[in-house]
Amino acid sequence: MGRPRGFDERLAVAAAAELFAGRSYDGTSVDDLVSATGVHRGSLYKTFGSKRGLYLAALRHHVDQDVTRIAQSADPARALLGSGGEELGFLLLAAAERAAVDDEVAAEVGRALDLLDAALRPAGADPARAADLTAALLGLLLRARAQPGRATGATLLVSQ
Amino acid sequence: MARIDITGDALVITLEGLDVLWALKKRLTIPLAHVRGATPDPGIVRGFKGVRTKGTNMPGVIVAGTFRTGEGRIFWNVRDAAKAVVIELADEEYTRLVIEAPDPRATADRIERARTPA
Repeated sequence: MGRPRGFDERLAVAAAAELFAGRSYDGTSVDDLVSATGVHRGSLYKTFGSKRGLYLAALRHHVDQDVTRIAQSADPARALLGSGGEELGFLLLAAAERAAVDDEVAAEVGRALDLLDAALRPAGADPARAADLTAALLGLLLRARAQPGRATGATLLVSQ
Repeated sequence: MARIDITGDALVITLEGLDVLWALKKRLTIPLAHVRGATPDPGIVRGFKGVRTKGTNMPGVIVAGTFRTGEGRIFWNVRDAAKAVVIELADEEYTRLVIEAPDPRATADRIERARTPA
């Protein structure tokens, strides 16, 4: 709309992304968002329409920043595993918590997966192999939350 | 408590019983295209509401009626803060509705799903 917001929308969205990544969608209240972003409640509603509107903006930010950074790194598979799941925590949580019940979240998670597939696909390889590899690597990140170090992904990366 | 229905392409909010008296309003009909979102928000009741222009404000008991703020006119109808739902609007008499719904989370989800993306 081109009207000055009176606050830095980008910073607010980044702070919200961090909060949602740590506390989930349902676990984050508008009070939490007001404290974390430092933006007045009325301005949050005016800018994003709803908590869900802010969540979608935060998830988009996560895909544009964190997921894209991993996808564009020289060795995406190692960058993904090296992050230890911290960097992609929001993506994993959004996929588990919201993608099945919210089409717009599903689309955004899908965009992230497509980015990772494209980055992980070896030249000339079957696209299905890239999809399987992305799925396996994200599964490793989930597993590492309960059993850090137990599965390292070494066998996947060697056979590539 | 308000009844919240989605009929065709409109959101219809009907106040019930004595709430009509406190809020001086019986029904609000909003095209879904003018609904920007809905959020369960128990914390909003504690905040600054603006200047009451019509209705009733008994802190801790009921907030009902029209309040004017720097952002526009806000319609309130809330007794139980835990059940407050915030509905953000565009191109309407009210810029925001704060109403009470029996299941705030389900109500907000229902409205979010029904609304036309801007």
